[in-house]
Amino acid sequence: MVRILRRLRTIAATAALICVVPAAIADAEKGADSFDSNCAECHSVSPKLKNKKGPTLFGIVGRKSASIGDYEYSDAMKAAGYAWDTGHLDAYIAAPKKAVPGGKMKFDGVPDDAERRDLIEFLSQQK
Amino acid sequence: MLSTFVGLLLTLGSGAAHALPSFARQTGEECVACHVGGIGPQLTPHGQKFKMGGYTDGNAKDQYWVPFSGQGIVTFTHTDKKQPEDAADTFNKNDNLAFQEGSLFLAGRYYGDFGGFVQETYSGVDHLWSWDNVDLRYARTLQLGGKDTILGLSLNNSPTTQDPFNTLPAWNFPYVSSDLTPGFDGEPLLAGGLGQVSAGLTAYGFFDNWLYAEAGAYHDLGKQFLHRLGVAPDDRVDTSGLSPYFRVAATKEFNHQSASVGLVMLDSDIRPDPTLGSKDKYRDFGVDASWQYLGTRRNMFAVNARYIHEKQTLHATFEGGGADSAKQHVNEYNLNGSYYWQNTVGFTLGLFGTSGKRDNTLYAPEDLDGSRTGKPDSRGEIFQIDWTPFGKEDSWMAPWANLRLGLQYMAYDKFNGSMNNYDGAGRDASDNNTLMGFLWFAF
Repeated sequence: MVRILRRLRTIAATAALICVVPAAIADAEKGADSFDSNCAECHSVSPKLKNKKGPTLFGIVGRKSASIGDYEYSDAMKAAGYAWDTGHLDAYIAAPKKAVPGGKMKFDGVPDDAERRDLIEFLSQQK
Repeated sequence: MLSTFVGLLLTLGSGAAHALPSFARQTGEECVACHVGGIGPQLTPHGQKFKMGGYTDGNAKDQYWVPFSGQGIVTFTHTDKKQPEDAADTFNKNDNLAFQEGSLFLAGRYYGDFGGFVQETYSGVDHLWSWDNVDLRYARTLQLGGKDTILGLSLNNSPTTQDPFNTLPAWNFPYVSSDLTPGFDGEPLLAGGLGQVSAGLTAYGFFDNWLYAEAGAYHDLGKQFLHRLGVAPDDRVDTSGLSPYFRVAATKEFNHQSASVGLVMLDSDIRPDPTLGSKDKYRDFGVDASWQYLGTRRNMFAVNARYIHEKQTLHATFEGGGADSAKQHVNEYNLNGSYYWQNTVGFTLGLFGTSGKRDNTLYAPEDLDGSRTGKPDSRGEIFQIDWTPFGKEDSWMAPWANLRLGLQYMAYDKFNGSMNNYDGAGRDASDNNTLMGFLWFAF
């Protein structure tokens, strides 16, 4: 009985690994499409550090929030005071108005976990 | 008489107006962010919100104090059969090359929440400067019931110029058309009849990114005022009081698509002859719908449709002997679909048509633009292919250099009531089929 349970546990763990690992691999190409669909109207990733309606996202991963000197941030974003690591980016992209209440970004967010992961992978390469 | 009146006003209101580099300089965004195909005026949802927001959005560092832009349009026009007279002074009966128009704009944020779109146009056909589209706005975004709501005022000079969608007459396809071809009868007043000869104040709201509602009224302008703006005194329209305008539309973005449906209404009394006590009444009611597939914003599909019914009670025209009956109506439709590849190469197919009641006096036979049958019915198709090489973030000289080259073919199945000998002088509808090449630049 114990042996059967161990076997079942092994099979379940293997199946979980098979299911989870491919999904966890972020795809920067899909992320680029997501960026063009959701972000590019208001944000640039050009190395020229161009601000549009929103600040440049070139080098965003690891950057301190509200740190682009010639961009006029909301008071809420100025007060956020954290670095844009993947966790903060994920929470913000999922629901910007919830993550930074009173911020300027009108975007409703990207609800799909995998799409956000791809998008953050793409952004992490923009440096 | 009516056809001359409407034709004259349509000519006044035919100036094209488009995507403006001053907007791109203000927002820091490329033209394709707001315009399908990289040069206007077909707006994406992002562009619609920019317009509803009063043209004031943006905080790009290279904004100029004066939001100045310019544009020029050069056309070459060929009709299947030459016209009986020259197409216009200094032009030929056919195969005309024209610097059709040059426009200067003050468009963008003027101060704070106050912005506008002001266009002054030189017509290379009429050889005249005159005011063109004007839309001055004050708009704020507020919270209403916890939802983002844009509230604004628009002071403009043509019903539907202020509309944010791509379906109503002021901004519908074709965005460039030749000023050197015969025009047909039966267009409703809403399709430019009050353009550049009236002023309207409307209040509007856009609630929670889906519900657009607008109400206001138009009034005529004085002869002297219009004369100073380049409009001939004889072109003035006496609207005999206020002309109410109503608009409501619902729009939704989903799965990188956008769709809208709407209603529009204009109610106008016009006194065509001040010596007569009576008036001509125009009641326009329209429905419209649109759909855009935006995807990654690189390749876009768009479909725009509208139908307008106009009830006419032409007491003044009838009393003056200009119609057999006071009770008239016209119906008008416009349907077009476009595909833009990489926001650079575009293909557009459009269908258009008008119809109305038979009246042998109102729509009398006349060389070229009359009607043998007494009917204002016209119907046709337009196909356009165009190339817009610039307008993207990495484009050469962006956002200063903007260019579109296009080829357009307009085919008529019916013109002013019939396919053959429509004017009673032997001209067929297909004789007015038009091949037009155009070059359109903006800076």
